[in-house]
Amino acid sequence: MNQGKFKKTLTASVAVILVLSLLSACSGNGANSGNPQASDSGGGSAKGGEIEELSLFIDMPWYPVREWKGPVAEKITEMTGVKLNVTVATDDKQLPLMIASGDLPDLIFTYAQIDRLSDSKLSYPWNELIEKYAPDFKIDDTRIGIHTMDDGHFYTVRNSFATQAELEQNKYAVGSDGNPGIAVREDILKELGNPTIASLEDFTNVLAMVKEKYPDTVPLVMDKNWIEQYFIIQFGIDAYFENWYEQDGKIEYYLKHPKMLDFFKFMNSLYRNGYIQAENFAHANDLIDDQYATSGKAFAHSQTVSTADKDNIAINNDGGDFSFKMLPTALSKDAKVVGTGLGFAGTFITKNNKNPEKSIQFLQYLASDEGKKLTMFGVEGEHWTWNEEGYPNLKYDPSDADFVNSNGIKWWYLYNDGITEGMLGYKPGTQTTQALMELKEIKTSKPAVGMIQTKPDSSEKTIKTKIDDMIRNEKVKIYLAKTEEEAVQNYEALVKNAENIGLQKLTDWANQTYQEKKDLLK
Amino acid sequence: MNMDSRAMEAVNSEQGRIWKRFKKQWMLHLFVGIGMIFLIVFSYTPMFGIIMAFKNYTISEGIIGIFTSEWVGLKHFDEFINDYQFGTIVRNTLALSLLKVLFTFPAPILLAILLNEVKNGAFKRFAQTVSYLPHFISWVVVVGISFAFLSTDIGLVNKALLRLGLIDMPLDILTNPDYFWGLAVGSAVWKEMGWWTIIFLAAITGINPSLYEAAKIDGAGRLARIRHITLPGMQGTIVVVLILTIGSILGGGLVGSNFEQAFLFGNSINNPTSEIVQTYAFKVGLKDGRFSYAAAIDLIQSVISVALIFSSNYIAKRISGSGLF
Repeated sequence: MNQGKFKKTLTASVAVILVLSLLSACSGNGANSGNPQASDSGGGSAKGGEIEELSLFIDMPWYPVREWKGPVAEKITEMTGVKLNVTVATDDKQLPLMIASGDLPDLIFTYAQIDRLSDSKLSYPWNELIEKYAPDFKIDDTRIGIHTMDDGHFYTVRNSFATQAELEQNKYAVGSDGNPGIAVREDILKELGNPTIASLEDFTNVLAMVKEKYPDTVPLVMDKNWIEQYFIIQFGIDAYFENWYEQDGKIEYYLKHPKMLDFFKFMNSLYRNGYIQAENFAHANDLIDDQYATSGKAFAHSQTVSTADKDNIAINNDGGDFSFKMLPTALSKDAKVVGTGLGFAGTFITKNNKNPEKSIQFLQYLASDEGKKLTMFGVEGEHWTWNEEGYPNLKYDPSDADFVNSNGIKWWYLYNDGITEGMLGYKPGTQTTQALMELKEIKTSKPAVGMIQTKPDSSEKTIKTKIDDMIRNEKVKIYLAKTEEEAVQNYEALVKNAENIGLQKLTDWANQTYQEKKDLLK
Repeated sequence: MNMDSRAMEAVNSEQGRIWKRFKKQWMLHLFVGIGMIFLIVFSYTPMFGIIMAFKNYTISEGIIGIFTSEWVGLKHFDEFINDYQFGTIVRNTLALSLLKVLFTFPAPILLAILLNEVKNGAFKRFAQTVSYLPHFISWVVVVGISFAFLSTDIGLVNKALLRLGLIDMPLDILTNPDYFWGLAVGSAVWKEMGWWTIIFLAAITGINPSLYEAAKIDGAGRLARIRHITLPGMQGTIVVVLILTIGSILGGGLVGSNFEQAFLFGNSINNPTSEIVQTYAFKVGLKDGRFSYAAAIDLIQSVISVALIFSSNYIAKRISGSGLF
């Protein structure tokens, strides 16, 4: 008799509990937002002997290192007393959802959500933690200026950043793989009589020869993420897609660059002449172009400065008998690269962090000269020795991904800089290093332009996202136009569309922001 | 005192009767209860989230932000309607949905009738199994397979057509915007036709065989029997399935999968015909983190869907006399 009543009560209460637990997930965010002292009461005493295990979320699904192990990680733990429990994102939507649900780990390493996490509701400001727990942790003014938000705090410092002055002082810091390059087949070039390729015109002439003599070979295959950049450089356009450039103190969106139409016409001519395939713009992932290149189905491969080295390793492993070599980084006298980068990714100490003191001290160690070299090059003596010239003599090949990843070299750069990272790219005699050094010659740095960053959920952000999405959809129509007139028409329609969405408003905002921010870097 | 106790007794006996009935049916109540909890927790509770379509919600506010963020009225609806892609997206959604209903709805009925007419039992079973197996392959895999068959340089179909000299240039089925709707409808028919045939075959099985025998004696041929016995016998099932189909028409009808197809077959070249409301909402909602805007877009679509289900039910009732509700 009582059974029925019991069941009913049970069902009802289960329903209520489920509903409540759904709703209460929100409180996770607010509950932990007390001051730093509240949550680290045990922190001070743990200093020294005990090892603190902190959780780290890496917001990059492709991250090659997924566990805190190997000699570099062990050494860091030995020096800092911190061990990391690592989770790598399954996709780029995971972190936004974690933020929404308030379910945050101790540390987050991200590049995509830097603006969103730079928020006192979500993260501890580094400046407060440094003042309190690590007074001798010195960060230079440029880096602080870049990362200081409107509330006067900075919540992270990106790695991979170097100022113009730092780069000039360190000639061995050549840079990283994230720069465009095109590799071409050496054997085919030889059969064509080794024509010189010193200009864009030479290059397209060679593509024409390839198309005629080798009808089964795709003249040029492009990585889906590296379609435009190389040619943008050659046209002397100051900014890659989705970026700003500065001309006589005024900021403009890349789309409005005077050379942009020429660039689009050129890309369209590549398609109309049959040098690139339409399908190239529909590649679902960035491995398809590699397969074309390494299986011998393509003559030229557009990707990064390390394309030739990487392709050659893969071809060797497959037992192939051909090889790639890099085209010169600059194929025209106009060629230029304007670095507006503020660095790559940064680490956040979230409000859920159980030991902010150890966390900031951990980052302080990584930021020390010893820490930077340890993370980037490996354990001194075991993996490298210092060359008095000013760069490390590595005892391994930095392109050997298996070795680098299994030893945990490079990837724990939760705090680092473009100089130390740039030295890992310096391996005399490799094509990558050669290409990077050529690139360095035509590169200037304007970080103030990079400071024009839209804030999350702002109306500028919405406009910019809409314009960028629109261009991503519509640019293909220009590339694949049947005639040059059609390409020009489509380009004009694209610019008009951007203006309808609010390009002028966005540009005004960018100019205003630029004026405000550029003084921060002085 | 006396009055009170008598009243109490009456209430008690009334309650007692309910309890007795409840006790007898407790198992059934348990089943219903679990279903209700499921609906409340996973369907009704999240519906509160719809209000974010009228607010400026940002994800850093957490779930509580759904309630505390500022009201902005119809701003997000306005924004979607004024989007430069609005016309294209709505056209694609409607065209893809209508085409799919037009082709995927009659296909299983036809196949069921055809299978019913097959007299060879072994062949019938074989045909049925082969036709419904694709249902169990996920769309990701179907799209992967279609690349192997249809891509311009490794696709088997293109290779075969080129060898046979039927075409000079490979067909860019996977990238040309003109092919996308055909590709989506064709692959949906291939994948789901056999599965839905099962329900229609079941309806046919329910028809009294003596009707066929009588028709035969009266001299009705095969087509006449199909027209006058099989089809009317299936009518009830057909109407119910049609209503369900139209209710979910914007999701792709009974075969569903508008989203999967548009998302997986879609690329930047066929985008002018492959971008639909759901993929658009997914992109702006999750990728750009604009939940409010995405909620508004989906709400518009839901309202259209509800209108469609009511009108189709009304029409079905007027025409055939039977409806879903």
